[in-house]
Formats: sequence, C-alpha cells, structure tokens
Amino acid sequence: MAIDTRPGPEPGSDTPPAGPDDAETARARRLTRQRRLRATRPWLLLAPALIVLAVLLLWPLLRVVLLSFQDYGLREIRTGESNYTGFDNYRALLTDSFLWTTALPNTVVFAVACVTLTVATGTLVALLLHRLGRFWRVVCSTAIMAAWAMPAVTGTYAWIWIFDPLNGPVSAGLDGLGMIEPRETNWFTDRWSFYAIAVLNVVHHGFPFVAITVFAGLLTIPRELPEAATVDGANAWQRFWHVTVPTIKPVFTVVTILSTIWDFKVFVQIYLMPGGDGANPAVLNLGVWSYVRSFGRNDYGQGAAIAVLLTVLLLVITVLYVRTLFKEKDEL
Amino acid sequence: MRRRHTALAAAMSLGLLTACGGDGGSGSGDGASGATLELWVMEGTYPDTGSYFEDLKAAFEEETGARLNYQLVPWDEAHDKFTTAAAGDTLPDVSEIGTTWVPEFADAAIVADMSDWIEDDGLSGDLVEGLQQAGTVDGQLYGMPWYAGIRALFYRADVFEEHGLEPPTTWDELLEVGLQLKDLEPDMIPYPVPGSSEHSFYPYLWGAGAEIAVEDGDGWTSTINSPEAVEGITFFTELATEHGLSVAAANTWTEADSLQSFQDGQAAMIVNGAWTVGNLLNEDESWDGKFGVLPMPGKDGGISPSFMGGSLVSVIEGSSEPELAWELVKLMTTGDFADRWSEETGFFPGQQSLLAEYSTSDDPYVAPFAEQMSEGGKLLPVTEKFGAVQAEQVVQQMLLAILSGNKDVQTAADDAAAAMDRIFQE
Repeated sequence: MAIDTRPGPEPGSDTPPAGPDDAETARARRLTRQRRLRATRPWLLLAPALIVLAVLLLWPLLRVVLLSFQDYGLREIRTGESNYTGFDNYRALLTDSFLWTTALPNTVVFAVACVTLTVATGTLVALLLHRLGRFWRVVCSTAIMAAWAMPAVTGTYAWIWIFDPLNGPVSAGLDGLGMIEPRETNWFTDRWSFYAIAVLNVVHHGFPFVAITVFAGLLTIPRELPEAATVDGANAWQRFWHVTVPTIKPVFTVVTILSTIWDFKVFVQIYLMPGGDGANPAVLNLGVWSYVRSFGRNDYGQGAAIAVLLTVLLLVITVLYVRTLFKEKDEL
Repeated sequence: MRRRHTALAAAMSLGLLTACGGDGGSGSGDGASGATLELWVMEGTYPDTGSYFEDLKAAFEEETGARLNYQLVPWDEAHDKFTTAAAGDTLPDVSEIGTTWVPEFADAAIVADMSDWIEDDGLSGDLVEGLQQAGTVDGQLYGMPWYAGIRALFYRADVFEEHGLEPPTTWDELLEVGLQLKDLEPDMIPYPVPGSSEHSFYPYLWGAGAEIAVEDGDGWTSTINSPEAVEGITFFTELATEHGLSVAAANTWTEADSLQSFQDGQAAMIVNGAWTVGNLLNEDESWDGKFGVLPMPGKDGGISPSFMGGSLVSVIEGSSEPELAWELVKLMTTGDFADRWSEETGFFPGQQSLLAEYSTSDDPYVAPFAEQMSEGGKLLPVTEKFGAVQAEQVVQQMLLAILSGNKDVQTAADDAAAAMDRIFQE
C-alpha cells in the first residue's frame, strides 16, 4: 500500500541560475519547456483526485444511465448480463399518470417551498447574526450549527415524535387548547400535512448553511455602502433590497442552486416518515419512488429511469440558474 | 508559499487514493486448512444472542479446521445488502434467508438448490412442513429450515381480570370485549388497527375463508376482492372506522408501533409475534403474568390462520466451498445448536422432532403459539411476484386508504386486486 509520496526536488521549478546570458536560443527553449511543464503540472497533480472522482462519480452515473435503458432485475444483477430494451422504461415512466399527478408535483412543489423558506429563513438569521454582539453571535451560531450538524435520520425521528398524533407535544398542546382530538388525528396520512412536516424538517436542517454563507457574504459589504445609503435617506428595507441584495447576489445564487439540488433529491426525510416508504402512495416523491422501484421491486431499470429523470430535471434548473448568474455578471 | 500548496494538494490527492484502496488487512490470514467461510445472520427480531455465534464459530472451526467469519445483518437492510452484494460479487458462502425471499433468490440464482444434500443426509423426513413448503420452488428445496415464527393475539391479562372480562375466542366476542374496554378504560386503545402492518391483517382475511391470491394454471390471480375477503377486510377496518376501538395514529402504524403502544400500556390487545414475548419479559420482569397470549380468534370459534414466517439457512450459489458450507448449514439447523437457538430466541425449530416438545408445552407464553402454528400457520403466495406485491405495499395501501376514509372497502379491495394482478402478469 505504501507509496512514496514525498515530492522530490523538482528541477523544472527551480529559478534559473543567474548564468552568463550567452545563448539566447537556449534560454528561450528552456522557457518554453518551463511553460509547458507549468501548464501540465497542475493537471498532473490533480490527476489522482480526478481519477478518484471519475471512478466514484462518473462511472456510477454512466452505469445508472445505461441501466435505465435495460430491463434489469435481480437475475441480471447476479449474472451481470445486459438486457437492453431501448426506451421502454422511459416510455412506461412518462406515460404513467402517477408521475404527473403525484410524484413530480410532490417533488417540485415540495422543493420550491423548501428552497424559498430555507433561503428566506437563512437570510433573516444571517441579518440577525450581523447585528448581534460577539457573545450572542457565538451563542446563536452554536445553536444553528447544532441543527446543521444533526444527522438527517435523527432530525427526522425528532420531527416525527414532535408531530406524533397520540403522544407528541404539538398534539398535546393543540389538545389542551381544545383544537383537535388526538385520537382522531393523524397528520401523516394527508398529503398536505405530511409535506408541511417534511418542509419544517428540511428547512430546519438546511437553513444554517444558508445563514452562515449569507452572513459571510454580509461581512464583505464595505461599511461605506449602507452608510451612504442612510445618509441619502434610505430606510432599512430599502437598504436591504438596494444595497445588500445586489452586492451579494452571487452568494444568494449559489445557496439557491445548492438548496435546490438538495431539496429535489430529498429521500431520508420522506422515507422515514410514517407511510413515506410507499405505504401511502399519495406522498411518494421521485427519490423514494426510484428506490422502491429499484430495491423493493427489483426493477432496477425503471428505478434508474426515474433517477435519470430527476437528474435531468436538476441539470436543467441548475443550467438556467447559472446562465442568469453569468448574464448578470456580463451586464455589470 | 506556492510550493507548499502544491505539495499539500499532492499529499491530499494521494491520501484520497490510499483511503480508497486501503483494504489490505481484512480477509487475509487463512487458517491451516486454508478455507474461510462467510456467514450472514439476520438480527433485529430476537433478543441479544449472547455467545451463540461465538460458540458456533468455535464448534465449526474445531470440527472442520476451516475458519468461520460471521456477520449480523439487520433485517431491514438485509434485502438491499443481498442485492448490492450480488451485484458486487461479495455474497457470503452461507446465509440465513427469510422464507419470503426464497422465490426471488432462487430465480436469480443467489441461493443453491440443496435438495440432494438434504435428501442424501436423510434430513428430508424431519422438516417442519410449512418451512419446507416456503423454501421449495419448482419442487427443489433452496434452504434448510432453521426456525419459524408465528403471530397470535396479545392481551392485557391484568386489565381483563380487573374488569372481569373474558379473552375473546370469536370475532363477535373480540368486538364485544373491545367495546366494553372502550367504556371501562377510556385512556387505553382497545384494539389498534395498524394500517402499515400486513401481518396484523391477514388473520382476518384468512379467517373469513379468503385467500390473498390463487394459482391457476401457470399464473397467479388476486382474490383479495372476493366476497369473503371483503367481509374480512370490513370486519378488521370497522374495528377502527365504525367502532372506534383504534386511534387515527394507528392508521400508519407498523407491527413494531403496535408493540410499542402495548409496551407503553396504551394498547389492550395487539397481534404480534412469538419472539416479542422474550423482548417484553427481558425489558421488564413485571410483564410476566401481566399479559396473556391467545391463538387468533376464528370468525365463529376455532382459530384464524396467521402468517408463519421464518428463516432457512442456505448455501449461496457460487460459494467456493459448497461442501464445507453444507456442513455449516447442518451444524446450525440440526442437533444442539438448533435446539439452543429456539430456546434462546423464542422461535420454533425447523425440525419436527425438535418441535414436538413445544406442542405439549404448558408454558402460557409458548402453548398458544404452538397451537396457532399447528392449527393455523399459513404461508403467503410462494412466487417471486409476491415479493414485488409486498415491496409495492399493495395491502398496506389498501388498508390505509380505507382507514383514512379515502376509499370504501370494495373500491380499495378492487384496486388492490388490480394492482396485484398487474404485478403477477408482468
């Protein structure tokens, strides 16, 4: 296993010794060689990491795409044989009304709600952090870091307990106010209340990242800008929209793209909720549907097709975002 | 500065490489005879197995001179693990196999045909019939019966006694006693109807004389919407929707949630497996005598069948040491180790001769299960397609739709039958 990793002396990078400049051509040749070395060296150094990425990311991605064109079951997995069926999986998927009435709307509406709320909450918390003194800033950021550090599984079980219709605190509180009858309540069976709880869970887990990133962005705004705006008579609301937001717009774009990617492929937070593993088809999203198809029904081709659809959807959204980002940069 | 950066990058990328390739240590160090067997056993349904597997390992290594590595795999992850291991060619030599997986695993050539071994060693006459049937595909046996588990009715004996109630033996009595409990113990849940547990429901389907699906010619057809089935579904779900013996929360409960509710002192009656008795008693000794167990009440008396699950031990197809693997299977499923396993876990053994002593037991936590097993143990349709039906949770979807009021019984049953038939015909 042991590979000698100590970088040896690199002759190419040494500054040329100050010799007598007798031969101009030799020097020029040496310079081109150096330039070529300098151009390839980063790639050489990156190569191990790139190879690892290719093996760990690109190859599986390619496999999923290849799988999505096959009728691939447990038998094929065992024998390793291919069984190409062209676009059959996609045809079946795209003509399935379940995709259009349930899985896709669940995924998209849920993601839009989560991203909006995550970015809004995160920004508000960042603004709060910006105004706090050192002590309270440490206290607050520690608290939100804890929410961030919590594994999704643990967080999901906590939220399930909080909303447990029979023994959870929310139900007990509402019962105390006489608003619900706990024995006749189950928030997990209804599509809307199920996803409302899931949104809370995902936003709670996702806003700390936005808050910290936006907070870092806020620190880069020169103090003179808001001061000048204040002098010009802008109120807090105007300062936020006309000074803060335009200055750190790239930060917002990045957190929005990342949140979108995360919230589209949410799996654990849905799968672990009561009925979320497929017992209640009304709450399936693309991620869980793909899993149930693949590993539950051993129909890996169909599962892969759903996964590819999800990936394509995400790529399109990301490309749109990035394009608007670059367009704005050009306009500036 | 620049120099330091590149050196750091190089070190980091190499670190990545070594981290990925670093699997030199395990797997090596073969014993004198050279062979090492891998064994997978499921965990999660029985109490701590203590030293059982260490003793098994020692016995096997002493007997054969080969080495044995065992791994405990949680039940919920096991199916995925088999799939990924099959894809990555890292399956073990021997594994415990849940009875319901046999058809698909046999079809995919994951488990080996063991009929000849079992026949040649004279073991075929002593197998528990239900397990043997569950392990048989097209006349070939794909595993050696190891243990069986069966479900029955748990009830709070102390509460029943306090109010002078009799444990139910028919459906009418069950409803009657449930309604009485509803009045007498308003804080308890007389009979939770768990919507995400198919096995809590099947006794009512089978008890009404219906089948989930029947085999005709060379295919299967769902009969979950037959008049008898609808009668069973209606009785079961009306316990919740009409009679209020359950709570809405239970609409998404699994079998484990029911047990939790029983353990928390909320549920008065639940359907659960024989192996949970040990869990209950281990956790709190005061449970001894506080609860009773009954075979599932029949519609008009007698016993309603309940699902007999269990496990086989199978040699994995493609094992490099099949004969040695078979020796291990025999060691686990016959004789002392088989006996000790059922004693420690609360499961029934897979051999008739060992099972016999259970049927005459007068232990109140063993006898009802033994009775249920001998008179009302039933299998799910033995076809790999039914695995897909379960994965798709067709039955749970039906129950949830009825319990949450989204569909009436007949519509939900028709939809479930259609969903099953679609899978059967695929």
